[in-house]
Amino acid sequence: MTNAHDILVTGTPAAGGWWSHHAGWAGVDVFHVDLSPDAAREAEAFAWLDQDERSTWEKGVPEVRRRFSLCRAALRAILCRRLDCRNEWLSFGASSQGKPFAVVRGVPSPVSFNVSHSGRHGLVAVGYGKRVGVDIEERASRRNLAAPIEATMGPDEQAELAALRGAERLRLFYRLWTFKEALIKALGTGFSTDPSRFQVPARVRSGVACGTFTFPHLPSIAWRLQEIGNEQFAAALACELPSEGLKSG
Amino acid sequence: MATTEERLRKLVDDNLEIEGRAQGTPLDLGSSLRNSGASSVDLVAFAKLVVAEFNVDLTPEDCDNYSTVGELIAALEA
Repeated sequence: MTNAHDILVTGTPAAGGWWSHHAGWAGVDVFHVDLSPDAAREAEAFAWLDQDERSTWEKGVPEVRRRFSLCRAALRAILCRRLDCRNEWLSFGASSQGKPFAVVRGVPSPVSFNVSHSGRHGLVAVGYGKRVGVDIEERASRRNLAAPIEATMGPDEQAELAALRGAERLRLFYRLWTFKEALIKALGTGFSTDPSRFQVPARVRSGVACGTFTFPHLPSIAWRLQEIGNEQFAAALACELPSEGLKSG
Repeated sequence: MATTEERLRKLVDDNLEIEGRAQGTPLDLGSSLRNSGASSVDLVAFAKLVVAEFNVDLTPEDCDNYSTVGELIAALEA
């Protein structure tokens, strides 16, 4: 109960709880959030949410509620520490395209963040002054892979997936998808950006864990990609590069 | 001829894993896809399948923005 006590009484959440540091890269910290069922944690997390968040929570089915409350409370704790603020000072706004941002005592914060969850795993990425996106997919079996591949992959990606079978195919699919969704989330446009209209760079598709990317319709903005998954989940991080990143590749 | 709801239910059954819902059972018209536990990749694929099945102009964003399945069905029938 240490973290709840810290947030609610002193307003300075401690590290730990059901989240832990997972990766640090290019000035972005990524935290893993344990979303395993745990009634005590879920009650503790719910207590940290504001009224708007509780309204969102109420709309979900039980699994969705659990993931939302545990991830959002972890995000609050991480941001409170990063921004040196109390939980009750922190709220969230959203861009016209729905990308959330942190607000402290009514003032938008330059800290950028992104959250993803799948199954029993969540990730929270936190950076400063640059757009970040993160995506996670638990390595679960799927009954239908053909439709998602056709809907989300470009022609080269589809050909490479077609050459594989079984677990290898599923592994590559999750890998490519997490890169794509991390990029779309970093861009902040939601799925008005069609994931089948761009492709993960060939070097990254072939297995290199990091690379640089530009959207075909936005060639002046470069993004850095990093694979951050493990045996339990596929995951990727995308963050905006300064303009000189285009030259460094 | 199958109703809009029946056609949509088949797409859901074949492509979405909704928490607490068994395949073939009636759709909860008051629920939303966003809050159903379906994954984002499945929702993107689902939206494209809805476009193909109903010959409508619909993006995954549009699909996600309908508050309930009932609203989506009403839009498809409009």
